[in-house]
Amino acid sequence: MMLAFILLGALAIVGGVITIAARNAVHASLGLVGTLLCVAGLFATLNASFLAATQVIVYAGAVMVLFLFVIMLLNANQPVTSPDPVPYVRELAGIGGTLLAGAFVVLAFTYRDPRPLAESAEALRGGTAMVMGETLLTRFLLPFEAVSVLLLVAIVGSVALVQRPAAQPDGVPDELEEPLVTAREERVAAPRGAAPALMQAAQDGEVRA
Amino acid sequence: MPDLIATLLISLLKAVLVVLGLLTTFAYMTLIERRLLGRMQLRPGPNRVGPMGLLQPAADAIKSIFKEDLTVTLADKLVYTLAPILAIGMALTAFGGIPAGPAGSLFGENPWVYNLDAGILALLALTSMGVYGIFLGGWASGSKYPMLGALRSSAQMISYELGMGLSILGLLMIVGTTSFQGIVGWQAQNGVLLLFQALGFALFLISSFAEVNRTPFDLPEAEQEIVAGYLTEYSAIKWALFQMAEYVNMITASAVMATLFFGGWKGPQVLNAVIPGISDWPIVWLVAKIAFFLFLFIWVRGTLPRLRYDQLMRFGWKLILPLALANTVMTAAFLAFRGTGGLWFLGVLSLAGLLALLVMSDRVRVLWNQPTVRRSEGEAVRAGGD
Repeated sequence: MMLAFILLGALAIVGGVITIAARNAVHASLGLVGTLLCVAGLFATLNASFLAATQVIVYAGAVMVLFLFVIMLLNANQPVTSPDPVPYVRELAGIGGTLLAGAFVVLAFTYRDPRPLAESAEALRGGTAMVMGETLLTRFLLPFEAVSVLLLVAIVGSVALVQRPAAQPDGVPDELEEPLVTAREERVAAPRGAAPALMQAAQDGEVRA
Repeated sequence: MPDLIATLLISLLKAVLVVLGLLTTFAYMTLIERRLLGRMQLRPGPNRVGPMGLLQPAADAIKSIFKEDLTVTLADKLVYTLAPILAIGMALTAFGGIPAGPAGSLFGENPWVYNLDAGILALLALTSMGVYGIFLGGWASGSKYPMLGALRSSAQMISYELGMGLSILGLLMIVGTTSFQGIVGWQAQNGVLLLFQALGFALFLISSFAEVNRTPFDLPEAEQEIVAGYLTEYSAIKWALFQMAEYVNMITASAVMATLFFGGWKGPQVLNAVIPGISDWPIVWLVAKIAFFLFLFIWVRGTLPRLRYDQLMRFGWKLILPLALANTVMTAAFLAFRGTGGLWFLGVLSLAGLLALLVMSDRVRVLWNQPTVRRSEGEAVRAGGD
């Protein structure tokens, strides 16, 4: 188990390096898929089977497919070669990355378990769906609901974003547009109005036959 | 240590046997499908190679192995080769978790390759990885029609995966476990889950058809519109691998439906009165049930026309998804408030819901046949002409 854990961890790092180093965006996202799968494997080696399955279903199976979908749809797989619009972006990213790494180091050395690890492994009981569900919906109910509200807000936001804006007044007086619109309306309305009548007639014919 | 190696070897052997079995089934499935479709369309079907055409799969296999393996100039070589391997790999792996009999019934070994507590979840995870095969294959071909096929298929599979996962939630709530053995055991005691989850089964069946890209949901490879979709640039053995993946996915979907809703590897208990212990025979019952569902897949292909793309999307999002949610809420509410009552009332409710949908199908059809018009009046008039 220990060997599998180390191997999967190393593979996850390789996937992460591919993600940032690949020139082709599709290859980069495939690297990310690999990383996510390795993380799922890590969960599995830690006896968190439900978490592992959910990780694959949600992240590797759905989120990344949508990433790839957008990359392919917009044909955005080629690297952008024009100069960066943000000045000193590399330097800034370097400083940010160093700070983050330092924070992780501090975190790793000052970390104390909120409760003894043996006890939590006991409480996890193999990490099945039942234990996870109970924990989420009793002890962590508030964060759980907060996250679902957050997701709901995101959904509403994206629906609002894709909605087409209402037609703006174009400055042309209505009288000038009027004849054109009514003419089209007539042309369109005629067959539509006639269709039910025709169908009715056809049905009557069938009944009579 | 020798124990560990022995277990490993036996698991490997079982895996190889499962793969061989699946691939043989695939080969003969193509023949059976063509013969049956021939019957349904009043023509003989392939009957020249060997007696009754029984050697046709062998001929097809030899042909596709020795055909020239073309690679398009614009293809992304690595991904182009990886895609069919990924598709068939995930398809074959997914089947291994399904139990074919009670523990220790296969010459003293367990009749499954791996057994996870997460059972059905792990299977859903593996099949959700299968979409990458089609998707990457279409993209890596570096050509228009495969690309369109890939985009279509990913949209379709994501949409129906949701309905598929939701439609079995009710079932999982009733049973209370995600392991296949647990689900089969529950059904042996309380009756097959089809009785209690008729609506859930109908939704799962439809979603399964969409997940394995079979008619009426075979849009990723709609011949009349986009040549052969993601398969357009593939030839020879890579093409055959994609075909294999499709059929193996069909077999897995059949096995999952048999296990979740029809009692899995256990036969009907009433037959025990005639031949004692017949319902516990390993493998036989599962194979029979899989065969039934495979026939259903072919039957539907011979019967229904293909959906239009917008119909497919509306059907998934406006009918399957809300119904699956409703089924989940109904089951949850029933389980929460039933007190000491039996489950039969839930079965009646579920069946009534399904029947109501069938009776009302002319009213419900509007949901996915008519495009929703949500534009301002002027635009609506302008768009009315098309």
